Amino acid sequence: MKTGVYFCNCGSNIAEKVDPERLREALERSGAEMAWFRTHPFLCSEEGKQFLEQELREEMPDRVVLAACSPREHEGTFRRVLAEAGMNPYLMQMVNLREQIAWVTADPEQAVAKAAAAVNGALRRVALHEPLEKSELEAAPEVLVVGAGPAGLKAALTLADAGRRVTLVEKSPVIGGLPVRYEELFPNLECGPCLLEPVMGELLHGDKAELVEILTLSEVSEVAGSFGNFLVKIRRRPRYVDPVQCIGCGECAAACPATLPNPYNGGMDERNAIDFAFTGGLPSVPYLDPSACTRFTAGSDCEACRAACPMGPELVVFEEQEEIVERRVGAVVLATGATLYDCSGFPNLGYGSCPDVKDALEFERLIASTGPTGGEVLTSAGKAPASVAIVHCVGSLDDAHRPYCSGICCSYAFKFNKILQERLPEAKIHHLYRQLVAPGKEEFRLQNSAREYAGAQFHRYDRLAELEVVVDGGQKLRLAGGELVDAELVVLCPALVPNPDAEKLAALLDLPLDGFGFFEELNGRIDATRSKLRGVYLAGTCQGPTDIRGAATQGAGACGALLSELVEGRTIELDPCIASVDAERCAGCRVCARVCPFRAIGFDAEQGTSEVNPVLCRGCGTCVAACPMKAIRGNHFTDAMIEAELEGVLA
Amino acid sequence: MKNVEVAIEQGGAAAAETFQPRIVGFLCTWCSYAGADQAGSCQLEYPANVSIVRVMCTGRIDPEFVLKAFRAGADGVLVLACHPGDCHYKEGNLRAAQRHAVLVRLLEQMGIERERCRFDYVSAGEGEKYAQVISEVVSSVAALGPLSINS
Repeated sequence: MKTGVYFCNCGSNIAEKVDPERLREALERSGAEMAWFRTHPFLCSEEGKQFLEQELREEMPDRVVLAACSPREHEGTFRRVLAEAGMNPYLMQMVNLREQIAWVTADPEQAVAKAAAAVNGALRRVALHEPLEKSELEAAPEVLVVGAGPAGLKAALTLADAGRRVTLVEKSPVIGGLPVRYEELFPNLECGPCLLEPVMGELLHGDKAELVEILTLSEVSEVAGSFGNFLVKIRRRPRYVDPVQCIGCGECAAACPATLPNPYNGGMDERNAIDFAFTGGLPSVPYLDPSACTRFTAGSDCEACRAACPMGPELVVFEEQEEIVERRVGAVVLATGATLYDCSGFPNLGYGSCPDVKDALEFERLIASTGPTGGEVLTSAGKAPASVAIVHCVGSLDDAHRPYCSGICCSYAFKFNKILQERLPEAKIHHLYRQLVAPGKEEFRLQNSAREYAGAQFHRYDRLAELEVVVDGGQKLRLAGGELVDAELVVLCPALVPNPDAEKLAALLDLPLDGFGFFEELNGRIDATRSKLRGVYLAGTCQGPTDIRGAATQGAGACGALLSELVEGRTIELDPCIASVDAERCAGCRVCARVCPFRAIGFDAEQGTSEVNPVLCRGCGTCVAACPMKAIRGNHFTDAMIEAELEGVLA
Repeated sequence: MKNVEVAIEQGGAAAAETFQPRIVGFLCTWCSYAGADQAGSCQLEYPANVSIVRVMCTGRIDPEFVLKAFRAGADGVLVLACHPGDCHYKEGNLRAAQRHAVLVRLLEQMGIERERCRFDYVSAGEGEKYAQVISEVVSSVAALGPLSINS
């Protein structure tokens, strides 16, 4: 084997401390197996790279050792030079003379000795290097987006704008997520539906609409494969209405004799068995709830909706069945959103038992013109409340519940203040809070407006247990100090928690959740739109509490990461420096799968052996060290290579 | 640690002058190796006794490597990982910490002092800590003297 050693002087950076001539002598004295030892003043310069390329072409070494700077700086550079010279780029090993020897060693003699040991290790290691090739994988450019709230909508639209085919799966009958149910949004009291409607309109009817398939009443039921090639099964529940021909006139709903509490208005009013989710919900097609329609509940032969449909009775399809839709996609964007922490866990606050204690979502519907009261703020008795208590931090900043601050509740609580101020100018408003937090460059206005409002009083509490809703001749709230204040209506602002669907999806995708049930991001600061599973991206509140802007921005941001990794017409390049299982030696104990941080190790049940998915493996080598049978090999970092280097530096 | 300090104070220092221990340092690419590079960029001087073997992640370090290092003549071994929570591979550093805890007990049974095998965390920004850890490990291993299984 012919190994050439190239020493880079790095100007005087290395050569001043590590004399190349003395290093060469030391290596020769120790019998190091090198075919030649040559120096260059600046190997990474254009001239230096040309020199090296020429050398490699002419001398045709089997292996190369570059005694230069940190591989973190120039390993890529020199690998490219090797490739240019027609050599396999992995047949090279760098020795970090500059950062880890020349710059940190006072005594030149010791520096030379340390350098000789390091080069010796590299020589022994590189002799065992193998030519490795990057492999390539065909990838589907299509994308699945799960959840049609602000984050999912923005993601779907961004992808469609880039020419990608998107399947947008939404479990409810309408798209838009939670904010389409709010009439006014913080910080500027913009109209929620008006803000989202252009995005939804674009997806439903715009130039790129044909690229986006929207599946409502649908949930992901199965996922197989990995980045580039996911095979997804989607369970689609029947709407019982033909969405293509329906014109959204609502005649069917008007004719329907059956009713049920409307879940979109927090059960505060009723809807018909066939009806819209709420006025203005998109797509503007009613859906039939079989839990209330007498044809399904009592086997009746009612056809009132069919008879009422001006487009023809065939538009209502009672026979429609659940179906499984299969799609092949290269990547998945999760935007399953969040919900409110369940307030019924605080019996002292009366949620669920007192009709005039509402959570923030219910209150949003109470102030919406499309809501149960047409936007009039009324108590359950149909009276305008003379006093309203808004309780912040319900279940937040509380180790027994959710220790984090959701960051949006104070802002919408101040919005409620503003709306109450206008609609009920006589009403007294009490804010109960543990901490007031309204981050952002615009949010302070609503906060200031609430703080300056003469009708509002602020009371700090330490523990939620100090507060109590008392119903005794008019609803009251006991404050932390024991004082009772009138609170004919109580609005609770609970912590934002992940949608329960996240858990199901996490199990389907084998994706980790954090301690609170949000999807765990690849890195919480620098890579929050990528999950820990390659090809699965995160957007919006399924990753952590955020506001509409945060969700939409993350939706677009996730697409940036996705589009740069899953490039249409380009294969996915797979790093060869990963693990591989020798099936002959594998005993099938699956220790490797348990220690793998990336769920990259599967199991071949037929063979009874583990196998590494090269798309998911990132080459950390944890499984290699864990395998009791030594059946896993870490390419480019094999046991033999590491041990050879170890023995070389100690020789 | 106490004993080591005492040993250094009581004449161990004199022995350390003459005895230069040979130590192998296993460093993960993303944090501790980068921390070592940062020490270099800041030109922080430290003893030249530690030869570095780079791995992608400390999770790759098979306890056998440590045993082989001692067998091949090392007087000490150093394993430096990313701080908990910072691992580029999520939790390889925690595996390494677990393995180290078991390994030092095994080493002690073999008559190899636990101070000869140090595990610590150095981030990419902790060049100073890196230089300090190197100095500490060199003086503590020097105070222990050559590894007897090698002599």
